[in-house]
Amino acid sequence: MGCSSSVPDRTSGRLAGLNSENGGVPDAKNLRVKLVLLGDSGVGKSCIVLRFVRGQFDPTSKVTVGASFLSQTIALQDSTTVKFEIWDTAGQERYAALAPLYYRGAAVSVIVYDITSPESFTKAQYWVKELQKHGSPDIVMALVGNKADLQEKREVSVQDGIDYAEKNGMFFIETSAKTADNINQLFEEIAKRLPRPSPS
Amino acid sequence: MDTSSSSSSTQSLTFYDFLDRMRNPASLDLVRSIKSFIVSFSFYAANTENDGKRLQDFLLTMEAAIRDHPLWAGASEEEIDCAIEGLEKYVMTKLFSRTFTSPEDAKIDQEISEKICLLQYFLRPEHLDIPEVFHNAASWLLAEKELQKINAFRAPREKLLCILNCCRVINNLLLNASVSENRVPGADDFLPVLIYITIKANPPQLHSNLKFIQLYRRQAKLVSEAAYYFTNLVSAKSFIVDLDAKSLSINETEFQESMQTARLAITGAQIKSPLALHKTEALPVPSTRGRGHNKVTQNEPSPLPTLDEVVDLLGQSDLGPSKGMQGREGNINGGSCYPFMEAEAGELTIGDVEKLLNLYKDVVKKYTSLCSAVRHLTVSKIEPSVPHLKGTNAQPTPPNQETNKER
Repeated sequence: MGCSSSVPDRTSGRLAGLNSENGGVPDAKNLRVKLVLLGDSGVGKSCIVLRFVRGQFDPTSKVTVGASFLSQTIALQDSTTVKFEIWDTAGQERYAALAPLYYRGAAVSVIVYDITSPESFTKAQYWVKELQKHGSPDIVMALVGNKADLQEKREVSVQDGIDYAEKNGMFFIETSAKTADNINQLFEEIAKRLPRPSPS
Repeated sequence: MDTSSSSSSTQSLTFYDFLDRMRNPASLDLVRSIKSFIVSFSFYAANTENDGKRLQDFLLTMEAAIRDHPLWAGASEEEIDCAIEGLEKYVMTKLFSRTFTSPEDAKIDQEISEKICLLQYFLRPEHLDIPEVFHNAASWLLAEKELQKINAFRAPREKLLCILNCCRVINNLLLNASVSENRVPGADDFLPVLIYITIKANPPQLHSNLKFIQLYRRQAKLVSEAAYYFTNLVSAKSFIVDLDAKSLSINETEFQESMQTARLAITGAQIKSPLALHKTEALPVPSTRGRGHNKVTQNEPSPLPTLDEVVDLLGQSDLGPSKGMQGREGNINGGSCYPFMEAEAGELTIGDVEKLLNLYKDVVKKYTSLCSAVRHLTVSKIEPSVPHLKGTNAQPTPPNQETNKER
């Protein structure tokens, strides 16, 4: 599924898979964020997330690794933490109508396409339009071109990604779940863009 | 998923702990509030949206009251949490008959269940493009069983647990199967399997159960991972409701023919297997009034003694324990109108004879009339295409066998 040669070892975390959800009350310093992943089937959504979740080596952070729900906390420089609760969605066309059930209430949406597949880029644009129409108005949107390691097969240019993202006020990045390129940057950038609750 | 990891015994212990504290004279003020909240429900006409809101508000108010209460002075967050969980279970058990399902919801339940019955007849994993590597009869059966338990419980938390347990089984299957394949499973794999399991399981009162959990599970607890898996089942339900040929990897003609064949087949099979009728029954029929035995799967905590205690505790008789028990038994059978299907000969009493005889006559009447109906149908190509479904509890028998026996 797009990240064949370098699939991180999941076995170690499997037993802890579905662990507890009472990681403290969220406050201004410790955000809890619902992030929904959208994109065509096979673009590597789950690989990106697994890379992110597995790539954090903070032994104190509580990680949840399921097949389609994962959570991970990152610490930012301003000593705040952000716990991402990552909702994966099924990318096959036949499930497209179900997406609103998943992105409802999401603070962040990460829309992924495969740089070797123009169809997946078109699908990504469809999700952007759908979220603009039906998502929460203050949702943070990121456009991600995955499989950046496959330069020789590239069919969607970097510029196309940048232009489309800019036009739609989104954050844009190209990643490779295979080499882990830009994976952490993606989530750190998202964390920075989150609206902070004003301390009350 | 903290809730799922705690075994059912720990769970009932905490509930007993809650009841114990409520029995303490110091908690009289809390008991009064709870009692008056329950009574207040009967003052208004049932209205699901309002009822859900009122329950949520009540739980929040009570949480504040418990935090300030001398009985919980110095209590940890966990203890407070257990108390609210106990309260949710207690109140919702008392209000169950008022809050669970409505005639409109029951109708939707029935429609979904009937559609699933048809789909069960021909749907194969390939129709949802489920890769071979995830075909695992044992895991699938386990996941189905978890989902089918949903009506064995009345508390929203416990119903939700059935869903989470089902999803956990699927999750483990996907993760385990993927390790050997060197692939990364995601929602692309999870949702189709969940949909397939849901169709195989045909969980009782699916729509009503989902609505009940949504409205009455403590809002602070229907978040994160629990919310995610709950949403997946809501989405599986929605997919099934809207399912047509375009939703599957099947051509339009084949889909229509399969549905039609299933319709004919099921009409015939119901003659043979009254269990199939249970599955389509939407409302539990408490036809077992007064019978002593209560068939519950062994590992489920029985709420019955609890209900008794609860009634003792508050001295309230309007929702007596016997009523609760009948409702429960009906539920476990998925709303059985054939209550003796699971009974052993030794359990029967003289008083059951009349009921048995009536049921027998009823069944024979249905059987003969349906048999003659089936014989007149030209059922050409009825063949269950899902052989591995055989043997799970309510698989209809193909009617061609049925008619063969007749001749």
